[in-house]
Amino acid sequence: MTGSACFHCALPVDRPDEFQVEIDGEIRSVCCPGCKAVAELIRDTGMAGYYAMREAPQPGAGRPADDAAEWQIYNSAEMLAAFAESDGATSEATLYAGGMYCAACGWLIETTLSKLNGVKSADVNPVTHRVRVRWQPEGLGLGDILAALADLGYDPQPLAPESSARPEVLEQRSALKRLLVASLGMMQVMMFAIGLYAGDFQGMEENMQRFLRWVSFAVTTPVVLYSARPFFAGAWRGLMTRTPGMDLPVSVAIGAAYAGSVYATLTHGPAVWYDSVVMFVFFLTLGRFLEMRARHRSIDRSTALSTLLPTTVTRLEDGVEVTIPVSQVAAGDVVVVRPGEPIPADGALIDGDTSVDEALLTGESRPRTRRVGDSLVAGSVNLDGKIRMCVETTGSDTTLGTISRLSERARYARPAFVQLADRIASYIVIAILVIAATVASAWTFIDADRAFVVTLSVLVVTCPCALALATPAAFAAAGSRLAEMRLLVTNGNAIEALARATRMLFDKTGTVTRGAPVIERVDILDGAWDETSCRNLAAALETVSTHPLARAFEIEDIPFSATDQRVAIGQGVAGTIDGRRWRLGKSEFAGARPGGRPDLNRPPGRAPAGIYLGVDGRAVARFVVVDELREHSLDTFRLLQKLGLRTALISGDREEPVHELAGQLGVNDYFAECSPEDKLDVIRKAQAGGDIVVMVGDGINDAPVLAGADASIAPAHGATLAQTSADIILVGEILSPIVAGLTTARKTMRIVRQNLAWAIVYNAAAVPLAVLGYVPPWAAAIGMSASSLIVVLNSLRIGRKDPS
Amino acid sequence: MNVLYLLIPLALLLLGLAVWAFFWAVGSGQFDDLDTPAMRVLMDDDEKPPPSDDDD
Repeated sequence: MTGSACFHCALPVDRPDEFQVEIDGEIRSVCCPGCKAVAELIRDTGMAGYYAMREAPQPGAGRPADDAAEWQIYNSAEMLAAFAESDGATSEATLYAGGMYCAACGWLIETTLSKLNGVKSADVNPVTHRVRVRWQPEGLGLGDILAALADLGYDPQPLAPESSARPEVLEQRSALKRLLVASLGMMQVMMFAIGLYAGDFQGMEENMQRFLRWVSFAVTTPVVLYSARPFFAGAWRGLMTRTPGMDLPVSVAIGAAYAGSVYATLTHGPAVWYDSVVMFVFFLTLGRFLEMRARHRSIDRSTALSTLLPTTVTRLEDGVEVTIPVSQVAAGDVVVVRPGEPIPADGALIDGDTSVDEALLTGESRPRTRRVGDSLVAGSVNLDGKIRMCVETTGSDTTLGTISRLSERARYARPAFVQLADRIASYIVIAILVIAATVASAWTFIDADRAFVVTLSVLVVTCPCALALATPAAFAAAGSRLAEMRLLVTNGNAIEALARATRMLFDKTGTVTRGAPVIERVDILDGAWDETSCRNLAAALETVSTHPLARAFEIEDIPFSATDQRVAIGQGVAGTIDGRRWRLGKSEFAGARPGGRPDLNRPPGRAPAGIYLGVDGRAVARFVVVDELREHSLDTFRLLQKLGLRTALISGDREEPVHELAGQLGVNDYFAECSPEDKLDVIRKAQAGGDIVVMVGDGINDAPVLAGADASIAPAHGATLAQTSADIILVGEILSPIVAGLTTARKTMRIVRQNLAWAIVYNAAAVPLAVLGYVPPWAAAIGMSASSLIVVLNSLRIGRKDPS
Repeated sequence: MNVLYLLIPLALLLLGLAVWAFFWAVGSGQFDDLDTPAMRVLMDDDEKPPPSDDDD
């Protein structure tokens, strides 16, 4: 595959000798003139190191956009005021650069922007895809910077200035601080604890023991009050809402051990447990931190929502067209939307007929016709005509905004997966404290002299860290293993759900299929024309059309040029070529006899979308346009079924194509013409029947559906919103990583169970021995460390590749 | 062993300083991006001349 992939964007190359670039002395093939230009630009500016540094590209990434001229409108003063914060001679703006996929991209952008005349600094965060630029606006417009990014092949967009730092940055900062306090505190307290334990063996001045206890107290207190505060807050919220989570036993354990230690310190009791407290807090905080980092890797919701909307809108002010930022559009405004542009807000069509592509919202792959008075939905794409619309609702009140809120609600309503390990660990902490107290009082009666040492052994031998580690360690290892397979896990619970999955539902368009139609074959109906000229004629006609099917006809260097082209809404496209009137579209529109002649070659059960080419009222050729299956789709479905999963197709598309595809893939079930509610219903029914459901889909209409499933997987090429609500993001063009991910998830759960089993067996064996006084504290310490080590090493096995 | 009564508080003082320094660093945004710096050390800041020049 590498032999025929574009060196720059990794898309397949048809003719390797057509476009070539020389980089570091080697001739590389690229797929198109755009990629050639970008690769040459990168080479000529001395940044060819980018290619060596970047991670394996996902096909299509970095492919340059065709229209760089549109960025010029951002050079105006109003745009600068809307998107940048200006401070005298310098301006600062945050840009979103779509298509960035690794740190090397960040380096490329930083270096390129810094070379622009007037740019003072450019900071790139590859995780959030944001670029922060400071520059001198005279001489260099915002549009020039955006154009420079577009030239590199990224998809830039200015973001409205953010009043305060973004919530996830603040969350990461405070999580880092809590983690640091907990880790430094743990190191210190462990050191004092070693002193205290050593003192128990060798004898220690009472003053020194009290002193060490007091310094342990001094270090543990900030760990408990600061680092462990989220656990207490969570426990309190749980109590208030009467839905106690795992934070409650954790808090009780931490609080009780801390309070007990403080009491012992004050009353010179037999033992303190500061070391257990800090260790417990540290491991829990570490687990939470890793989880948070994984969550932040998905792009934040607000960006996802805004990237579906245009950044600028043409508003009619007293008959004059004025370009304004989308944020300034208000209800009652009249805005102009040109063909190919997204609808910026919900509203009514007041002038012009068109058809719109609402595939992102409804899953319907065919365009819908809209006439004056019909309503338009934000986020859908205007296909045919230049229209005027009256804005009714904007921003988060629109259908698009509602869908994103719906997905958020579904996410909160999802059945909370029990975090077994954490829960057991916290119960065990409580159990330890109870056992330790019982042991201490019992041994006071049996043998008062040994009471303290036995209590100590019990406390040490049952250190809960093996249990607290069991799940986070395995999940962290699984997360990085899955990332290697190009599956990014944003929600740790998904691994468990994926491992237990019994049903997998696939969205059709854009998930199982490419979402991009291609011409499967051309049937010549009139012998006077050959296939090549028919393709060329069709391509010339379709140049004006923004219909999704038109993409199937695109070719380079069209030998004909059509004049007087007309798009007939929902019918087809017409144009004059060499003095003759050609029509391309539905059979009647192109001039085929009504009903068409019976097609003897047609395989039974197949209903391809036929597009007719006709001239002077007579059909000349028929194009069979199909949405191609992704590579390895068939294998993926076969392997999933072999692994014991029931598979199903679910789509908003018509019955015919879904039925056909279902037969082709051999799935167990299929559901056609489903609205998002229907899809959610299918999932709910399956869940009620005891199934664990994994949903694979893209498109924002799937967002609530994805959130409602037990685990969700979204291909990264889909609408960005779906990615943010998906538990797992599939990077790349092929579905087969899902199979590997499933086996890894199962292996992970197997290892988690092994870890838990080991921790339980170990504790069950060690505690009674310690309680009976057979384990000296030093042996207990060795046993505890070895037990933790076994758990960690076992978890690391997940990261190893299977020999098979 | 009495020196411990001096050394341990001293260690705690240093610990406090370290925590303060880290809090300051986090607050000033130095830890906001934990991914790029790992790559940056591998990147060449020096500009290489375009390889085509050597061939001409």
